[in-house]
Amino acid sequence: MERSQQKQIVEALIVAAGEPVSAARLAEIVPALDASDVAGLVAEITRDYEDQGRALEIWEVAGGYQLRTHASVAPYLRLLHRERALRLSRAALETIAIVAYRQPITRAEVEHVRGVEAGPVLKSLVDRKLVRIAGHREVPGRPLVYATTKRFLEVFGLGKLDDLPTLREVEELLPPPDAAAQVTPLELESAEVGESAPSPSELH
Amino acid sequence: MLESGTPLAVGSVAGPTCAIKLSLFEGPLDLLLHLIRENEMDVTELPVAQIAGQYIEYLNLMEELQLDVAAEYLVMAATLAWIKSRMLLPPSENDDDEEGLDPRAELIARLLEYERFKEVSEQLGEYTREGRDVFKARVPESASTPEGERELEVSLMTLLDAFRRVLARVPTGPGLHEVEGELVTVYERMLAIMDAIGAEGGSLEFEQLFASDPEARLSRPLVVATFLALLELVRVAALRVYQGLREDGAPEGPIRLRRTEEGAEEWRRRIADDPRVHGVKSQEGV
Repeated sequence: MERSQQKQIVEALIVAAGEPVSAARLAEIVPALDASDVAGLVAEITRDYEDQGRALEIWEVAGGYQLRTHASVAPYLRLLHRERALRLSRAALETIAIVAYRQPITRAEVEHVRGVEAGPVLKSLVDRKLVRIAGHREVPGRPLVYATTKRFLEVFGLGKLDDLPTLREVEELLPPPDAAAQVTPLELESAEVGESAPSPSELH
Repeated sequence: MLESGTPLAVGSVAGPTCAIKLSLFEGPLDLLLHLIRENEMDVTELPVAQIAGQYIEYLNLMEELQLDVAAEYLVMAATLAWIKSRMLLPPSENDDDEEGLDPRAELIARLLEYERFKEVSEQLGEYTREGRDVFKARVPESASTPEGERELEVSLMTLLDAFRRVLARVPTGPGLHEVEGELVTVYERMLAIMDAIGAEGGSLEFEQLFASDPEARLSRPLVVATFLALLELVRVAALRVYQGLREDGAPEGPIRLRRTEEGAEEWRRRIADDPRVHGVKSQEGV
């Protein structure tokens, strides 16, 4: 099959899927397409979009490819999707960060780290499918343990959990922190994630 | 000790800006970190005497502003007072188990731990976010039923047959192993089924339900509870059961379970609202 035709099909599949589609799945469907060639085709499609000045990008998130609107048009999309705008409070962000790095984790453990009650926040994160109940810890009381979901990866544009920014080691925090050192890691980390996705993550 | 009884002179301490900041604290650890930073101190040096005083001033301020001071803040105040008193005592007197230990050590460790997560959550907050900065293409849910597999309200008999086949695989026979009490609840299995289906992207073969966790032995209670859980999920319409159809319309092939969007939503809410799940305590009164 012609490469141009394969490219068309890959594009169509990603558009129609909505959810992230893995390279393996695409290769399974598209005739004579090897999984290792998928990334190349997707990159071409993304480049086409870019050259044509389209409002679309293909991202590699949660183990698959997903078509998304460009960040530059976000304000308008937010007007369209008023009801589903994803707002996360500081409490929610902190809780989800703790769950992400420490999963599977119990409610009590989350509470120990944050120093406040975690039940209501966990509940709202489960409601929003960012966190799921991953079973029980086999200790007295068999407390439930929480883990992040595929949706979490999708929302934060992460390919897999390993793509999370590195948690600073406690030792690194020991020397007196100077103001400059606190800014750099943030920029570095976001830049890294931008590179792992096939499309740029700059916001402007 | 001095501070605890002293009424706070609001204006002299922090002024009105203080009141605005208050709502921004995410808990006692957050407030402590803020105080330490404001004093340009290092967490590891935790100047307890100084910080404890300021901490209690904040609590007083909260009360003055008629904000609810959550119990956690009071617990921390007590902890600080305890550490402060410990540090006044000469070391290694009457110390059996905590000999030579800095009474601040545990609190410092918690502060550092919290600070790491606070930092990283701030980073995550800056990430390009689906649903805020970028939006995925959306396809109506109804378009996603696979070709050639139309919905068939599988009869209870068909399901029961499938169930019997699974049950037949369960090792039985007298004296095979000692009977041990096994705690399987239908509720738990409902959670497990929804999880398994979620992990498979919304749809699962009936047989997979019983093959999914190899480390867990197939036991009769487990299989029965799983089946009851399945029926319950179908009843609350969180799931639908499908089977492929031949050209002539006769059912054929494996029975598949598919999550329904509304049903899954409803079920998620149930899970979320269930106190057994989150152990949400009502502590408001404290």
